[in-house]
Amino acid sequence: MEIYILFGTFVFLLLIGTPVAFCLGVSSLATALYMGMPPLIVFQRLNSGVSVFALMAIPFFIYAGVLMVRGDIARRLVALAGSWVGSFRGGLGQVNIVASVLFGGVSGSAAADASAIGGLMIPQMKDKGYDVDYAVNVTVVSSIIALMLPPSHNLIIYSISGGGRISIADLFTAGIIPGLILALSLMIAAWFVAKRRDYPTDPFPGFRIMGSLFVSAVPGLILIAIIFGGVRSGVFTASESSCVAVVYALLVTVLAYRSLSWAAFVEATFAAVRTTAMVLLVIGCAAAFGWLLAFLRVPASLVAFLQGVSENPLIILLMINIVLLILGTFMDMSPLIVITTPIFLPVAMAFGVDPVHFGIIMILNLGIGLCTPPVGAVLFVGCAVGQIPVWQVVRTIWPFYLAAIATLLLVTYVPALSLWLPQLFR
Amino acid sequence: MLKVARVLGVVSRISLWISATGLVLMTAFIAWQVFGRFVLNNSPTWTEPASLLLMGWFIFLGAAVGIREGYHLSFDVLLYVIPLKAKSVLRTVSDLVVAGFGFGMAWYGADLAMKTWDSTMPSLGLPDGVSLIALSCGGVLIVVFSTERIARRMAGLPTAHFGETELPKD
Amino acid sequence: ADLVLRSSDTHPDGYPTVEAVKYMGKLVEERTDGRIGIEVFHSAQLGEEKDTIEQTRFGVIDMNRVSLGPFNNLIEETRVPSLPYIFRSVEHMHKVMDGEIGQDILDAFEEHGLIGLAFYDGGARSFYNSKKPITSKEDLAGMKFRVMQSDLFVDMVDALGANATPMPYGEVYSSIQTGVIDGAENNWPSFESSGHYEVAGYYTLDEHLIVPEVLVISKTSWDKLSPEDQEILRQAAKESVPYMRKLWAEREAASEAKVREAGVEIISDIDKTPFIEAMEPVYEKHVTSEKLKDLVERIRAVE
Ligand code: NA
Ligand code: NA
Repeated sequence: MEIYILFGTFVFLLLIGTPVAFCLGVSSLATALYMGMPPLIVFQRLNSGVSVFALMAIPFFIYAGVLMVRGDIARRLVALAGSWVGSFRGGLGQVNIVASVLFGGVSGSAAADASAIGGLMIPQMKDKGYDVDYAVNVTVVSSIIALMLPPSHNLIIYSISGGGRISIADLFTAGIIPGLILALSLMIAAWFVAKRRDYPTDPFPGFRIMGSLFVSAVPGLILIAIIFGGVRSGVFTASESSCVAVVYALLVTVLAYRSLSWAAFVEATFAAVRTTAMVLLVIGCAAAFGWLLAFLRVPASLVAFLQGVSENPLIILLMINIVLLILGTFMDMSPLIVITTPIFLPVAMAFGVDPVHFGIIMILNLGIGLCTPPVGAVLFVGCAVGQIPVWQVVRTIWPFYLAAIATLLLVTYVPALSLWLPQLFR
Repeated sequence: MLKVARVLGVVSRISLWISATGLVLMTAFIAWQVFGRFVLNNSPTWTEPASLLLMGWFIFLGAAVGIREGYHLSFDVLLYVIPLKAKSVLRTVSDLVVAGFGFGMAWYGADLAMKTWDSTMPSLGLPDGVSLIALSCGGVLIVVFSTERIARRMAGLPTAHFGETELPKD
Repeated sequence: ADLVLRSSDTHPDGYPTVEAVKYMGKLVEERTDGRIGIEVFHSAQLGEEKDTIEQTRFGVIDMNRVSLGPFNNLIEETRVPSLPYIFRSVEHMHKVMDGEIGQDILDAFEEHGLIGLAFYDGGARSFYNSKKPITSKEDLAGMKFRVMQSDLFVDMVDALGANATPMPYGEVYSSIQTGVIDGAENNWPSFESSGHYEVAGYYTLDEHLIVPEVLVISKTSWDKLSPEDQEILRQAAKESVPYMRKLWAEREAASEAKVREAGVEIISDIDKTPFIEAMEPVYEKHVTSEKLKDLVERIRAVE
């Protein structure tokens, strides 16, 4: 009965247009009240859900993105990228994906990637005549790439949740090839959609213009170098790098480009506050919802059901993938890793799946969940940056889902894609 | 009604200013942490908890302003296909539910703050309960702004809709 | 069982503390003819320790296995076993916590809405780093170590002449790898399971912290039980302690073997006296009342 109240209230409120954060919060509250629990548990989870140091990268990257857009850094960077691959079919879509590969190696976080690259590219794509839904689709799904590449905190959470017996070095190495395959398949999807919608391609600008665009974009390129080089050489952590990005963006726009007035700075800060508050409130309320799911043993019941169905490892892996995809639509990534790893990993290992391989499957799968409604932090960041309703984005996102799910199946059924590189390094 | 709405517009503006100041201070704190370790070879330990504290303030105040300005995300697919009158009723139900949750944030936020007042945050030395005051204040504002939405709708004034992205002008 | 007590643990399934509470549950179920059982929610499913402590105090969940750290600011007495170098060895810690002093500390939980049932082991924590073998206190000078976000542990590292750098646990691996920090500190099983031994090749067994962990039950849940059932729970909790220690010893040995096999340099014969002497200002700052000073004296007096 508790589960029906939880999901029933949630779906009802969703349908009548209540903001998603409150759908999650109120359905959790209704369930707690029905069960006779002190209601304050819901508000404790909400407060703790947003008091997480790693989450701080989200406001910072959103803020840096807004500053880069308003302070002219973004326009110059994308003009440069456009001069490189703008003459290809779906050029800026391709640039967006390649940028996620680069940024992924810096942030390791999908939400941070979507806010940084999305803030950078979505307005530019709009300007160049791309539909907003296409721009958001590419941004959102390509940000999963960031999760697959080091330094991905989620892989570390997985290792610890799996009883800590899985080598983090191996996990880091294992994600690289699947991450690149994902990038490739998304580029194909981007090409396909661009062709069907007949997006304009830019003419090749010539080497002299390419050169001058490069010079004008140098301060922006240095920002990427600072983040990348800073994290690699150990000057700062991934969370701190997001803050450095804000400070640097401020310095460049105020001192070098002189493109940011006081009023524009205030408006940029307000814009960052609005987006962040909205996204983080959803994450906080999802923490309350996830707590009730765990308390009600929902993931455990799903697994019990799963084990009764088949003994074929191929089918078990398929079913685990399906269950994770379903859970991923409703819950956020890190609580799901923490809750389901201890349950699914022993099942997978009993069927002969390598734990490193399983970790990559899981991260990719739950990464897709970050891009699906009703609960998808990355989807929300993308929609907020693109200023477009969620349903409009979801209507046309399917080619990118297909590409991501095809990659997931490939990664699931060809273990060598994950395991070959770590074995090479051993 | 218009007079009240104007006052609430000022309240909302002030909240936004507090939130924005919080974000800027948070940036300064973490920048100081990096500078401290990199240049002074000495990490300040207060920056992390202090930034988390600020983040709480700007999330909950910013979320409350979002109720007034209508920038929270929602899936109002059903609302596109039903008659205008029913739509207005459902929107009021939704506002009531949000107000109820806001009341919970205010009441239980204060309750939690009092119950955790006797333990202390590391590094800052402040009571743990301090971090919950933001939750409580955000809750109060959510109740106020949701009530305003209902009142505006009844008085025939325009209300910002969730899921749409233009902000109301007043 | 008719009454299932929900118990929280941040460690994963199969971890000694998780298994010990399950074992306790089995004993309770047998002795109450199936009336009362215990269900363990492992892997921080119900939240991190600070949150689940509140949940237990408010009676949302029934039981909780937690470290003493989060209690330090709430319950004065728990600060003493958390002091650096307070215990000479793990055996010394067992003797103190199993005896009268341990019971006094357990009793201190009651006025905060919790009943202390038993102490488990948290292992001995030591420093590891990626730079050099640390054989004396001088070697620590200027090195950056990650510690838990706690005033006591920050003060301890500072008093040793090193720099304390609080950061989330999940960032430690890459931070050591990239040189943001030089190292961290932990016990054998965590050093191994976190994978930190892959990037930190030197482990100095100074055993600065030997901190027990505690199993508590919510006073709200406790007061609903009959005195007979309360006694059954207390007894089963006590009996789960040796079971936990056996599992812990096995796990520690397995982790140590894996770390040694990976070629990590282990420094075990160091003179701890300068380390202990450096703790004087730390004790002065954190042992604030006569009650705590008395506890410190009593622990030191235990042979
Ligand atoms: Na992208
Ligand atoms: Na989702």
